[in-house]
Formats: sequence, structure tokens, C-alpha cells
Amino acid sequence: MTLLRVESLVKHFPVRSGFLGRRAHVHAVDDVSFDLAGGETLALVGESGCGKSTTGRLVLRLIEPTAGTVHFGGRNLGELDGRELRAARRDLQIIFQDPYGSLNPRMTVGQMLDEPLMLHGVEPARRRERVAEVLRVVGLAPEHAQRYPHQFSGGQRQRIGIARAIVVEPKLVVCDEPVSALDVSIQAQVVNLLRDLQKRLGLAYLFIAHDLAVVKHIADRVAVMYLGRIVEIGTKRAVFGEPRHPYTHALLSAIPIPDPRARRDPLVLGGDVPSPVDPPSGCRFRTRCPHAQALCAKEVPPLEIADGHGVACHFWKEIAPPARIASHVGADPNERLARLQAAFVAK
Amino acid sequence: MAALLEVRGLTTSFATESGTLTAVDGVDLELAPGRTLGLVGESGCGKSVTALSIMGLVSSPPGRIAGGEVIFEGTDLLKLGAAAMRDIRGDRISMIFQEPMTSLNPAFTIGDQIVEGILRHRPIGHEEAKHQAIEMLRHVRMPLPERRFDEHPHKLSGGMRQRAMIAMALALKPRLLIADEPTTALDVTIQAQILELMRVLRDETGAAIILITHDLGVVAELAQDVAVMYAGRIVERAPVDALFSEPQHPYTIGLLGSIPRLHREVERLPAIEGQVPNPMTPPPGCRFAPRCPFATEKCRREEPPLREIAPAHWARCWYAPIP
Repeated sequence: MTLLRVESLVKHFPVRSGFLGRRAHVHAVDDVSFDLAGGETLALVGESGCGKSTTGRLVLRLIEPTAGTVHFGGRNLGELDGRELRAARRDLQIIFQDPYGSLNPRMTVGQMLDEPLMLHGVEPARRRERVAEVLRVVGLAPEHAQRYPHQFSGGQRQRIGIARAIVVEPKLVVCDEPVSALDVSIQAQVVNLLRDLQKRLGLAYLFIAHDLAVVKHIADRVAVMYLGRIVEIGTKRAVFGEPRHPYTHALLSAIPIPDPRARRDPLVLGGDVPSPVDPPSGCRFRTRCPHAQALCAKEVPPLEIADGHGVACHFWKEIAPPARIASHVGADPNERLARLQAAFVAK
Repeated sequence: MAALLEVRGLTTSFATESGTLTAVDGVDLELAPGRTLGLVGESGCGKSVTALSIMGLVSSPPGRIAGGEVIFEGTDLLKLGAAAMRDIRGDRISMIFQEPMTSLNPAFTIGDQIVEGILRHRPIGHEEAKHQAIEMLRHVRMPLPERRFDEHPHKLSGGMRQRAMIAMALALKPRLLIADEPTTALDVTIQAQILELMRVLRDETGAAIILITHDLGVVAELAQDVAVMYAGRIVERAPVDALFSEPQHPYTIGLLGSIPRLHREVERLPAIEGQVPNPMTPPPGCRFAPRCPFATEKCRREEPPLREIAPAHWARCWYAPIP
């Protein structure tokens, strides 16, 4: 069942540009639509400035859209008044990237977890129980409720951020780069925790990330964004297995493979992402696309969806994915390594 | 071949309010001319402090090189005075950083900064230095190098700033380049451009590189040898193929397992549970023992030495080689 429906979302931020202070707009999000079912994970991926975090904030109505609608559980969030919105927020939570900046240094962990429960009118006795329970669920101890954020490591702080998001038993959690700031070994712990919680609590995640390997691990479906637009959307298997958009090809091919035996012939895109203040006409990716033709500058390619796999490219049928994605060698660890690594899971 | 750089027993500590913190503890490294060594590990393992110690850039106080030798082209850099070290830095050894704005001055143009570096070390005229600087910008594939020469850093994109910093670092053809997380702050498509550039420059200039990174993917792309650091110590050192296919230290084994892979599906990532020990109070035995699924009583009591367990393959584990 559809939990979240985002339709034709647009967000333009006003900026002043040039020394005359000419008014201009950053086209942060432009005509973005997607659905998310209960218990499902949709990943929004793309590079800096592609609009993925802005989309996450629009979904939570932390910022107001320029146009478009967000339906959550069948209700249009844009039509709710302040009180109704606050009530709806019980079901809609967020986890931030920076586990330090997003925690109030003057509050104990217990106070931080208690606050949302109090705001939603939960009884004091039940609140204490719930705080202890949620700390255990995220792998901390009930005693940790007495401590302040600076007394925790980065990984533990992110667990606190997760605890704060799930303490009110939401249906949807927007995860905005939740593991990007963490070291690899800690990142794996937090990714495992997010997956466990999803299974246990039936959470849906809107998972915003730039690391495609993490996304591959955690997502059910993936939407790839470039300069404010979705260029490709589909199941994980479709987007990673049969990528259609040349930007998705480039992204997948650019990731350094942690295996020295892997083939090294990445499709290296030239140039930089253009300014979102003055995005290219037609297809926004055309200025860096090795396959661009005259039509790409004239017409915006629509997001064509076939078999649940959408792509916004005029010529996707004619473009083959590059070799590095198609034929990768050395992906699997040898028998010894697999056996030794299994000991880390068992522990 | 004789080593270009030999680091022996390097120990660097910092005085803090609550006592002495030993960030780098008895590090040994060796680098032949033209080789690329990946120095990997997680936050706080001491990899950046190792680089700063080699460069003579540890600020003192609070920092202090408490022991060891850094022998570069036959000279112990730790015994050199500040002026002699300044002559070497930027000329024979140079460094690039994660954030280009830490080495680019926002008040001067890209060109002025490269020229200043050249004139500091070479007895040539301004015109000649300018010519070399533009050539260097062209060399790092800076688009429109003549125009970029007169631009300030804030006018450039992140990828172009990284190119400018690399041009500045390579302008005098150093024999050793230390690159500290050179692509970490970049988007993946720009990272691919910079990695490609570094690969080309490595082959063209013959400079040896110490590549410091937390990203094992970047190491696999660029390095020929790898040293893995954990809690201030080198725990494993090996040629890149051996390190990835036959790792011998449990920390390396765990680290390789915990990276999510694009080309492999696993139900659960084999995470390394627990966290890095507090550097003020390292555990008595092996520093990884508290998180190691294979640890025994001996590991918790006595710290293992770094031993050569196969040709050019070193591991700091009592039980290496692990079957």
C-alpha cells in the first residue's frame, strides 16, 4: 500500500546573483514524483546539489514546496494546519548525517528521547519505560539516558539520532546521509541496525545517500537524481543490474572498486555539474553526456516508465552500459576470507 | 632498489589536559622511488599524523616527535633545522590535502601561488616561472589554464581547486608526494577524474606517493603497497594484491568484510563490533584484541610484534599467518 506519494514537487530558492543583485532562483528540485510503500526503502541518490536532501525536507514539510504535493497516508500534508501537521509528524521522522550537530549538547540522552514522547502526550511512566526500551533496541544501555552527547563516540551518537527518530514509533523515517560521516567499521554496524529496525518495526525509509554501495545494500528501490530531476527510478535490481540512463552508467562506473584485480577502465565524465541557478536547457545532463545530440538541448526528456523502471533520456534504448559495469571480475572473497569474515558476524 | 624514504620507529605524541596522547606509536615504513604506498585506517588511527610528522608539520607544542627516524634520500629529516626543512618541503617532498582551501590562499590568484612556490626554490625569472606554472596547470588537465592562472580559488569548482593544488604540489617535480585523502571531499564522478589524473601523473613523473585514505576502493585503484594502521600502530603491510586477497591481520580481514560492495549481495555486513580504544589508555595486549573475534588470553596480555610472515608481507598478530 502506498504510504507516501510525491507528485510534481518543485522547489526554487531565491538568490541574488551578479553585482547588481539581479534576482535569480536555484532550481533545487524540479518536477520530482515518486511513491513509497509501507515497510519499503526508496533511496534517493546523486551528487552534491542534485536536490536529494531538499526533496527529503520537502517530504517532511520542513520547507514549503514552490509547487507540487506530498500525500502521506492518503492525506495532503500541504493542507494540514500547524496542529494537524505536528500530529502527523509522529509518523514522519528524520535522521541527520551529522550525529553531533543534530543533538542538543545541553540535554541528556534521556531528555532528548523523552521530549518527543511528551509532545505527543504519552504518560510519564510509560515514557520512562519507552526510553529504556528504545535505547536497548538501538544497541545502547538504559544507563546511557543519564549522559550527554559529548560522552559518546560518533557511531553511538548516530545510534542516539536513530533512537530519537524511532522513539515515537513512526511509519516513515527520512534518513539523510545517515552513515556518511562514520568510519567503515562503524558504518556497517549502523547499516545493520537500520535494517534490523526496519524488519522489526515495519518502517519505511526514504534513504538519501551518495554512496551507491551502501544504497545497494539497504534499498528496495532507487531514484537517481541529477540537478534537481529524477533521471532514473526503479527496483534496485533494475537500476544496478540494467542501468538505462548515461548518468547512472557514469555513477556506477566511477565508484572505486575495493579489489585490485578489478578492471580499471572507468567511464570518466568530463567537466563539473552546471550551476542550478542556470541549468542547461532540455536534458540537464547533456553538457556532460557522451551521447548528447541536438534534440537533448531542445526538449526535456520525460521520465518514461516501462515495467516499473523509469528513465529520462531521449536515447536510452540506443546506449549500452559501459564494460566496467557489465563485466566485473574478482567480486567474491575467496573461501578462506569468507570463512574468517563470518566470524565477525557470529561474534 | 635503495629506499627513497625509510621511517623507523616514528613516535609522535601530543600533550593534552588529561595526559600524553601517543597518536603514532613506533611506525616503520619503506618506500622505493616511484612506488605508491596506501596508508589506510579509520579516524584517529594516526595516518594523518604520520604524514605530518614526515613533513615536519606537527605543531609543537602540543605535538612532539618522541622518537624514531625519517630518512629521506639518505638524510634524517627529524634532525634537520626548520630552514633546511623548508628548503625540502615543496621541492623534494610536497603534500596535497583533502580540502584544497587549506593549502590555497583565498587572497591570491592560483597563478601567483604556484609562481611563488617555484621562485622560492628556483633561481629563475618571473616570466619563466609563470610559463612553468601554466604548463603545470595544463599538465593537471585544468581547462583554460592561461585564464585560470589569473583567477582566485573561490572562482573554481571543487574539482578544479583540487587540480590547482595538485599543480602547485607537483610544480617542482618532487620525488615524494604525500596525498592526504585527496578525493574524500569530492563527488564520485569528480573523484574518478582526480584518481585518473593521479594515475597518469604517477606514471609520468615517477614520483613516489604516500596515499592516505580511509577508502579501500581508492587504495585498490592507485596503490601498489598498503600499510594498515590501527590505534597508532601499523598492523599489516603488504603488496596490494596480497593485502586484498590474503589479508593476515584480523582488523584488515574485518575491514574488508565491512565495506558494502556494489557487486556482492550479503544479508548482513560483517561489522567490526565495538569501537576504537581510547588513545589515552590503550589496552595492554594487542590493541585490536577487544574487538577481535579470534582473540585469546595471550592477545589480551602481550602485544604482538610486526613480523614478516611471507616475503614483503608483515602482520602484527600472534596467529598470523591465519589459515
